[in-house]
Amino acid sequence: MRRALAAAALVAAAAPAAALADTQQVLLPGPTPYPTASPPLTTVTPPVGATLTFRVHASSNQRVTAGVDSAGRVVSVRALQNLHLTGTGDYLIVVPAPVLDVQAGPGSQSQPGQRRGQILWAGFAAKRKLLSADATLRPGPVAASLPLRLRAARDGDRYTLTLANATEVSQVAFQGTAAKPELTSLLDQTRRQSLAHERLTPVYVTISGLVSQRPQKARIAAPLLVTGELRFPQAPTSATGGVVDGSSVRFSFVLGDDQPLARRVEVIGGGGEPRLRVEVTPTAVVRGLRPPGGAASWRSSGLPAAALLRRLIDTRMELVRSDQYQGFLANPDSLGLNTTSYVYETAAARRAAPVAAESSGGSNGTLVLLVAIGGAIVAAAAGLVAWAHS
Amino acid sequence: MRRLVILLAGISVLAAGCGGSSTSSSPKNLVIAVDVPVTGSPYIAQTIRQGVELATSNLNGGGGLRVGNQTYKLRVKLYDNHGSARQAVEDTRRALDAGAVTIVTDGTGVDATWQLAKQKGVSLAIAYDGGSGLVDAEKRPNVFRIAPTNHGIAFRYAEYLIPKKLKVGLLSDDSAYGREGAADIAKAFSENPGSVALKLTLPAGQADLSAQILRAKRSGATALLVWGQPPTIAAVLSAARSIGWQVPVYTPPTGADPFIRQQLADHPKWVDGLTFASGRPTAEVGTGPFTNFQSQYEAAYGPDPVGVKTSSGQKVVQPPEFGMYSYDFIHVLVAALTHAGSVDPAKVTSALNQVTAQGANGDQRGFNEHNHDGVVDDDIYFARFHDMTYQPVQDDPLSATLPPIVQTR
Repeated sequence: MRRALAAAALVAAAAPAAALADTQQVLLPGPTPYPTASPPLTTVTPPVGATLTFRVHASSNQRVTAGVDSAGRVVSVRALQNLHLTGTGDYLIVVPAPVLDVQAGPGSQSQPGQRRGQILWAGFAAKRKLLSADATLRPGPVAASLPLRLRAARDGDRYTLTLANATEVSQVAFQGTAAKPELTSLLDQTRRQSLAHERLTPVYVTISGLVSQRPQKARIAAPLLVTGELRFPQAPTSATGGVVDGSSVRFSFVLGDDQPLARRVEVIGGGGEPRLRVEVTPTAVVRGLRPPGGAASWRSSGLPAAALLRRLIDTRMELVRSDQYQGFLANPDSLGLNTTSYVYETAAARRAAPVAAESSGGSNGTLVLLVAIGGAIVAAAAGLVAWAHS
Repeated sequence: MRRLVILLAGISVLAAGCGGSSTSSSPKNLVIAVDVPVTGSPYIAQTIRQGVELATSNLNGGGGLRVGNQTYKLRVKLYDNHGSARQAVEDTRRALDAGAVTIVTDGTGVDATWQLAKQKGVSLAIAYDGGSGLVDAEKRPNVFRIAPTNHGIAFRYAEYLIPKKLKVGLLSDDSAYGREGAADIAKAFSENPGSVALKLTLPAGQADLSAQILRAKRSGATALLVWGQPPTIAAVLSAARSIGWQVPVYTPPTGADPFIRQQLADHPKWVDGLTFASGRPTAEVGTGPFTNFQSQYEAAYGPDPVGVKTSSGQKVVQPPEFGMYSYDFIHVLVAALTHAGSVDPAKVTSALNQVTAQGANGDQRGFNEHNHDGVVDDDIYFARFHDMTYQPVQDDPLSATLPPIVQTR
């Protein structure tokens, strides 16, 4: 929200300038700002000095595993983050995360530390170093930052799984008059970067006259490549939205990028609850940047300049959103490359926790005590007043 | 009227009862116990004590420490454990009776004292002994350490020496310090047995090690890694050099102890080339922070003279490395007291896991729920003696980034 306001302010600030100048350079979205604060996860402000020096750089690849129950609700989250340091120098890294426990991941050349809401790394890198953290996170605060929502239901012999892209946001966008050749060139450049899975580089577009805010906010979502499998106890009779393969149903599609943001997989038969495994990867904008008519370039596009500008801004915002979800846990190097894949798996059945006993002896008990003390004080004061007036 | 007076008195009593925000004007004392071998290892004891006192006097000089609504003056109580675990237990009991919020120690007797301290929620802070079993965040949640660990030193030595294709003679003395170090060194070199020429235990306190050194030489060793007390290291150097064997000698932090240079003052060349591993006294930010700390330390206590001179006649002084560690711990403790908002030892001990403070060398010092060692293994550096002073080596990536510290006056 804060970033959206900042973007709006930028547009507003640019507008008066238009009165003074015939044309102006307006910064297009990308590689930032991200439209929401999370991801990457945020919990605490890192201590002073917790940063990489200019001598050391970091790239991050992550695998986030979300355990889901039979209804598709997230019940556990585990993140494996590999930070690849390059360069020679000290590092003190704080990765904010609502961490329950953290251990060194495979091949880690150091041990992670843990504090409330933090994964810590400290040491010295000599040219190259791998820091791998295998963290168990609190599912409650983390679930909202996952890119996919699942909803599973069984109705008799019919099993339905709904997969919805959860990255959609409303964003302020600008409009104005730009030249078609520049717009088509920028679309081609953006497309090249998208297909190469490169992070966008900052670019400007030349706007003639007034720059204004679009009347309606843009609805932006990161394109998600989703592949999954439902393994049933028995071979299903049929499936829509997926392909039956023995006792499994497989599916693969993109949510977003000019395609629906939600899909449904329906299965008849199967003989019981399936074990689910869905892998999600934030991916490139392909359809949204494909030139009309299958052309190799946007140069020959017959679309009006306003439509081209709109397409350029929207697709770049989608790429920024996709890039945002590539960094589920923060990378200490703001310019470092990030990749994250998300895996949703059926979680092992858990026994119900005896929450009632814990709560009665815990905070509720404290509350009762506080109320009792407060009540006694008020009663004593009232008694004194009454007695003084008697 | 009388009833009104009683009413007002009653209200004032109630208000006092609810007075959580009232401020106490007179500072209270907060005891920090220091238990060190004053009569066993006087240099270590002195530098640890002075590090604590310097930090506390700075804080007290600034008006004390504010915790919640109360101001505290930090008061240091010194105990002498004589290097004896039994005495350390006695000292710990006395420190707990005195209401200490923490006990700073060289490490003597921690195996026996940590449980006593834990019963009162009090933390133990080790500022010297790097023994691997002493600190365990899970099993000994109240034990913390700011000092280079044996494990880290052994690991760094393996990393440093194995690529040099040396045949290393692993020598250790039979003191507790030597035995603990030998175990860590053996583990660190276990993956590369071809790098080890021999393993040999030396009798601690024996001045003549000629026979053992001759045996090491005949084993084909091209380097000696000696884990022992300062007298053992001095004896190894003396035995090797007196037969003309210029084998490179590597040691843990005890190699920097002034005792060795004092013992070999008549043969300064015998000290040349001696390399020791320790926690780095300076950080990437340069010598500024450490020099500032050293200046304060020397202004308060004077320099720590080694008792030898360089070839040009300058007096050699010992940088207060271990004083830096105890000084740093007090700063982390203060951060924990502030974080906890309480002087309840248990709360402070818990808060030690959550805070970071800037150390005297510019590094960030702190602990966490998984690790109670404030000097990370990566911060172990190597320094080599020349002309009775030492400088970081240039053939190790970390050490090569460190500027030397002036050690003459």
